[in-house]
Amino acid sequence: MRIGDVIGTVTLNRAHPSMIGARFKLVTPLSWDNLADRWDDRLEEIAVYDQLGAGIGSRIAISEGREAAMPFHPDPKPVDAYNAAILDTLNYELPEEQTS
Amino acid sequence: MLIAKVTGSLVATEKVGSMVGFKLLMVEPYRVDPKTQGGLVTTGRSMVAVDTIGAGEGELVLITQGSSARLTPETKNLPVDTVIIGIIDHVHVGQTCVYDKEGLAVQEG
Amino acid sequence: MFLARVIGSATSTVKHSSMEGWKLLLVKALQADGRTPEGDPILVVDSIGAGRGETVVITSDGIGTRELLKSNTSPVRWSVLGIRDE
Repeated sequence: MRIGDVIGTVTLNRAHPSMIGARFKLVTPLSWDNLADRWDDRLEEIAVYDQLGAGIGSRIAISEGREAAMPFHPDPKPVDAYNAAILDTLNYELPEEQTS
Repeated sequence: MLIAKVTGSLVATEKVGSMVGFKLLMVEPYRVDPKTQGGLVTTGRSMVAVDTIGAGEGELVLITQGSSARLTPETKNLPVDTVIIGIIDHVHVGQTCVYDKEGLAVQEG
Repeated sequence: MFLARVIGSATSTVKHSSMEGWKLLLVKALQADGRTPEGDPILVVDSIGAGRGETVVITSDGIGTRELLKSNTSPVRWSVLGIRDE
């Protein structure tokens, strides 16, 4: 899972029947530069299906691709990004080698 | 999922049999303006998406990509990798509304 | 499968139920030179007890990871297969 910061919300006017009631958070995935506290470049935001109730500022684990739809198994749902966890802590020490 | 703007429709008279009857739209993924964080801007990329819900040109939609695109009753047997799953009403960054379908306004920057 | 360096760890209280009780590691996938990162930071589940600084083998097989977590609805794809001997 990539790591991302919740920065906003996306609401739908009309949705595919399988997505009715879904909540989507606007999330910026984090790069190695971002973890080194360099914010000049930000990755493209994605809309993440959220069942955990993440708020603005939450740091989350983003499941992507086919795995993102597994929580709905055996119901098919066209989900390619899913909030798997709201992180309480993220502890790390970046090595001296380049991080970009 | 990605936020994308529908920029047009696509007609392909010659196509594989399974795709007959499905509407294809051109879409452009959008992102939050990296400079201001205050609006939405195009990524400059474009792709073709299959439409299951009747999206129209100019609207912002959510698209699902990859093998998850086949996880709808309509697309499960189609050779597609991008599907439109919803028409966007609002996008908020923080408490700020950066898109409102009513005005069809994408606040640039 | 690919090699990655363990950079850190994460904790979470509110998460998908399949992740209950599993350790989450922050890892950096490595290019051939063994230093340059490949892709973005990722979180993986670990059943082996890998520690910071160690080089691990990661599998992206979601089916295997769901077997490990004993859940057929888990959204987790990446897990630690082994720790490379130094």
